[in-house]
Amino acid sequence: MKKALLCCVASCALWPAIANADGHLPFAPGEGAFSWDSYTAFAEATDLTGQVLTISGPWTGAEKDKFEVVLAYFEAATGAQVQYSGSDSFEQDIVISARSGSAPNLAVFPQPGLAADLASQGLIAPLPQETADWVAQNYAAGQSWVDLATYPGADGAQGFYGMFYRVDLKSLVWYSPDAFDEAGYDLPETMEDLLALTDQIAADGGTPWCIGLGSGAATGWPATDWVEDIMLRINAPEDYDAWVRNEIGFDDPKVIEAIEKFGVFARNDAFVNGGVSAVANTDFRDSPSGLFAIPPQCYMHRQASFIPAFFPDGTTMGQDVDFFYFPAFADKDLGKPVLGAGTLFSVTDPSEAATAMLDFLKLPVAHETWMAQGGFLTAHAGVNPMTYIDDSSRAQGEILRNATTFRFDASDLMPGEIGAGAFWTGMVDYVTGTDAKTVAEGIQARWDDLK
Amino acid sequence: MSPLIQGALTIFVGVGGCVAYFWASNVVLDKVLFPARGPNAGRNINRANLIRPWLFLLPALLALGLYLVYPVFGSFSRSLYNRTGAEFIGFGNYRIMLGDPEFRTALTNNLLWVLIVPAASTFFGLLIAQLTDRLRWGTVAKSIIFMPMAISFVGAALIWKFVYANNPDIGLINAVLVVFGAEASIDVLQIPFWNNLFLMVILIWIQTGFAMVILSAALRGVPEETIEAAILDGAGPARVFFSIKVPQIMPTIVVVWTTITILVLKVFDIVYTMTGGNFGTQILPSYMMSYMFRDDGRATAVAFVIMLIVLPVMVWNIRQARKEM
Amino acid sequence: MTGIAGQKSALSWVVNITVLALVVLWLIPTIGLLVSSFRDRDAISASAWWTAPLSVEQNFRVRAPAAETLIIDGGFEAAIGGYEITGNIADLIAAETGQTGPVTITAFGATARAPVVAQPGDVLNLSRDRTLSITADGDYRFFAPAEITRDPSLYFAMEIPPSFDLDNYREILRSDGMDIAFINTLTVTIPATVIPILIAAFAAYALAWMDFRGRGVLIAVVVGLLVVPLQLALVPMLSFHNTIGIGQSFLGIWLAHTGFGLPLAIYLLRNYMVGLPRDIIESARVDGATDFQVFTKIILPLSFPALASFAIFQFLWVWNDLLVAKVFLPASSESWVMTVKIADDLLGSRGGDWGILAAAAFTSIAVPLLVFFTLQRYLVRGLLAGSVK
Repeated sequence: MKKALLCCVASCALWPAIANADGHLPFAPGEGAFSWDSYTAFAEATDLTGQVLTISGPWTGAEKDKFEVVLAYFEAATGAQVQYSGSDSFEQDIVISARSGSAPNLAVFPQPGLAADLASQGLIAPLPQETADWVAQNYAAGQSWVDLATYPGADGAQGFYGMFYRVDLKSLVWYSPDAFDEAGYDLPETMEDLLALTDQIAADGGTPWCIGLGSGAATGWPATDWVEDIMLRINAPEDYDAWVRNEIGFDDPKVIEAIEKFGVFARNDAFVNGGVSAVANTDFRDSPSGLFAIPPQCYMHRQASFIPAFFPDGTTMGQDVDFFYFPAFADKDLGKPVLGAGTLFSVTDPSEAATAMLDFLKLPVAHETWMAQGGFLTAHAGVNPMTYIDDSSRAQGEILRNATTFRFDASDLMPGEIGAGAFWTGMVDYVTGTDAKTVAEGIQARWDDLK
Repeated sequence: MSPLIQGALTIFVGVGGCVAYFWASNVVLDKVLFPARGPNAGRNINRANLIRPWLFLLPALLALGLYLVYPVFGSFSRSLYNRTGAEFIGFGNYRIMLGDPEFRTALTNNLLWVLIVPAASTFFGLLIAQLTDRLRWGTVAKSIIFMPMAISFVGAALIWKFVYANNPDIGLINAVLVVFGAEASIDVLQIPFWNNLFLMVILIWIQTGFAMVILSAALRGVPEETIEAAILDGAGPARVFFSIKVPQIMPTIVVVWTTITILVLKVFDIVYTMTGGNFGTQILPSYMMSYMFRDDGRATAVAFVIMLIVLPVMVWNIRQARKEM
Repeated sequence: MTGIAGQKSALSWVVNITVLALVVLWLIPTIGLLVSSFRDRDAISASAWWTAPLSVEQNFRVRAPAAETLIIDGGFEAAIGGYEITGNIADLIAAETGQTGPVTITAFGATARAPVVAQPGDVLNLSRDRTLSITADGDYRFFAPAEITRDPSLYFAMEIPPSFDLDNYREILRSDGMDIAFINTLTVTIPATVIPILIAAFAAYALAWMDFRGRGVLIAVVVGLLVVPLQLALVPMLSFHNTIGIGQSFLGIWLAHTGFGLPLAIYLLRNYMVGLPRDIIESARVDGATDFQVFTKIILPLSFPALASFAIFQFLWVWNDLLVAKVFLPASSESWVMTVKIADDLLGSRGGDWGILAAAAFTSIAVPLLVFFTLQRYLVRGLLAGSVK
């Protein structure tokens, strides 16, 4: 009893200290639905005053601001100073800096394939087995998150190289509830319904889809998401896995079929805003704006859960825009497969602060503080779903948890030159007129070169 | 140490160091090694003068040798290895490249760039240099034409995105087309073959200023007597231009032409930013970028191919330089 | 040519007009970007930059609060009884966005697909016997015979006066780290301009005015090196920097730019120095001056135009460079130069915001233009390269 009282007094005394230590904490420790207990225990146990932690990652702009809020909690708890730099061309920068010896302490990889590449060159430090065990036990479908971060190292031995922190859900279609209501459309539950809806919108004189592949040097990646989602809906998950490992080639008829099904949506001038020629050049950040135009320039936009960051200012989730699950074929009997992706924290320059940061990321609070800012999903099973900023995010979290089949974005798992290169440019070629078979064979040829 | 202080320190150290080096080495040479006194004065002075040029040249030779000469050979040898540098594969990289359709597209496109951009820039530069020669507001006009050179290539790409945008409300070209009655907007960067020309326009827009400035200086240097003699003989302005001025500045025209050619082979930003190399617009420098640091064997092979293309220009330049000797 | 009577005026008209046309052609793209940098994202998508000074009509939607429904009775005054919501659009806009002020409606509608079908003052008949009317001042009346359960959406068009402001620039300049990036760019550019000039000046003098064996070969080598593409050097030189321990750093990029800029520097300076009057140099030598003194006291001052013109080219080149900075400088945000910050940070997070991109482009142009305009008179003189014979 006395001990418990003492602990409470100690923790309570610590909360104001933490809150006052750094004025940038928007969610006052001790309040709200957050899991503060583990946080205070961590803060008491860790003291890194005077140490500097460098992190580099792909988040810029608004996403960077939100991540820095999470980092503020780490700084408040440990006294360390964190410097985060985000870059649009992170994939290239990290390779150069890792090889030049100027790598940051932690690197946030948006593609496990790239992390695997660097791990095989010995540029990433493996994490201890207990971290792997912890992930297996504390993440929903934990073992798959461990497997996705296990690669052969420089010596050929398998090692566990990173912790997943943020998850994106990709099998979502965004739409405007007002537009659907006014036109009297129902949300499609099956892929057959979706195709019928597409036809109907076109017949009614509207344009069903907004699709934009533009992304600077990464142009083409949204199309890879389409193809992967469709791949999961027409083939068994084992085929998907074999495709990722190139056990079935890119020019396999199953893959070509998936590409062509994407073409049903994207290569029809009547189905896409701006016509087919606009697909390849419209920036992916620009293309959802068609949903919000008056009169609407399109009715649906298939995109991952991070896209709300690029909606026009003042858009209210649930009212001005909402999403539905990208449906599966009713007659294929493959359940409700879900495509997702995530970012991976890896240690590129070991330090005490880096290890502490990874421990911090095990705390629910590290996830909840971003969940409460919006635009964040996680596979951490110990977080409180009430901290999601709105019902919409909570619903996405539900989809994630209840997926019958969950698969990671294939292009992020393939070797960098394919998944962040040939696949992207191949899709651009497809959308601008090359036929699916030629495109697929080209990508496969490039993959063969790698071996 | 803050980079600003570091920078200021570098300027002091660098400049001071250079000056100190030159001064000190000369002092050492003249006072210590080969003093201009005593019995061997004459021989010493001669020896000092023999060594002195090399003292002056030493820092430059070091820098050039390290940063330009060594990479040529270093790159060639790197291109003979595989992507991680571990395995020697001889000409494997080159063989694979020649079989890659994207490489072949990049090669043909690059040849187009090399043919068209320097010619167009030089032509416009010459034209504007001549026209603005005696104009009262000539300096203003020339400054405006030169201004694009001050803009970074990324900035230029942004500027031209506003011209080429696939939207009559943003893109100038589509707006003009709409005025003339076109129905749908065209994405000019996706028109096969012609999209290359639209991209070349951007570089011509930038480089004309450079050509104009140099050719303008050259035109001013044409001796007045030759021009007046031609006028007295009854030649009109056009005749004067083509028969008197142009032949006399021909060496400068060629220098401008070759300099721009070299630049064309270096610039990758424009294609990289506007189309990422898609739609058949790929050129060798941006093709190389997509391999850089991922497959260094292939990347250096491409760099070496660029070097080979430019070799005739280099040889020609060197010949000209030796002729002047 | 000026002595030919009568021909001057006609010819000069043609020349003037041609030059004017060319200048305008050259300037138009840049002006487009400049105008757009003062507008906001919606304005740019709604109207083109050449119509920017004009008011543009845009469509909007607001939701009328169903909570404020009033019941009206049937009777001989109203045709049928029912429920109505009235109010003013300005209040709705103020509630949703906080912007206050009177509105002028130019057209309205009730569905997103047909948002501007009715004229102000008309009564629009909707399905299920509902009606909507909005006046030009923004007073609206929505009527339905059955109970109104959801906020009805009102669509209308309004003329938005052109607004130009410095918001985009403010956002760029206040952007996290832009000041650091600016200082970094200065830190990289100034040494990378000054040091090559110094080294090249000495080398150029040696190649121009000192007689020694191998001079011809060296000149040929320098001319040959003008042509080497710098991409060739990136991978080997970065490995070299890593090996000698300076890795990615400011020191590395200064050395790299020095190396890359030397051929052009030596070429330009030598060309100019060769054109200097021989007698001055000869007489100085006869007077007993060493080569070093000749160089510092005579050549250097006389070569100032050439030094300035190379300084301009090198300054512009280094300031605007993206590739060398990305390779030789550390990737962390505190070492970014402005080109990297704009390309990697701003373009990435604001890929769709043309206003910000335009302002970013101009922010990065400002200093080079300043440098160019201050030093431009040396440009021509410096490049005359001995043609003043």
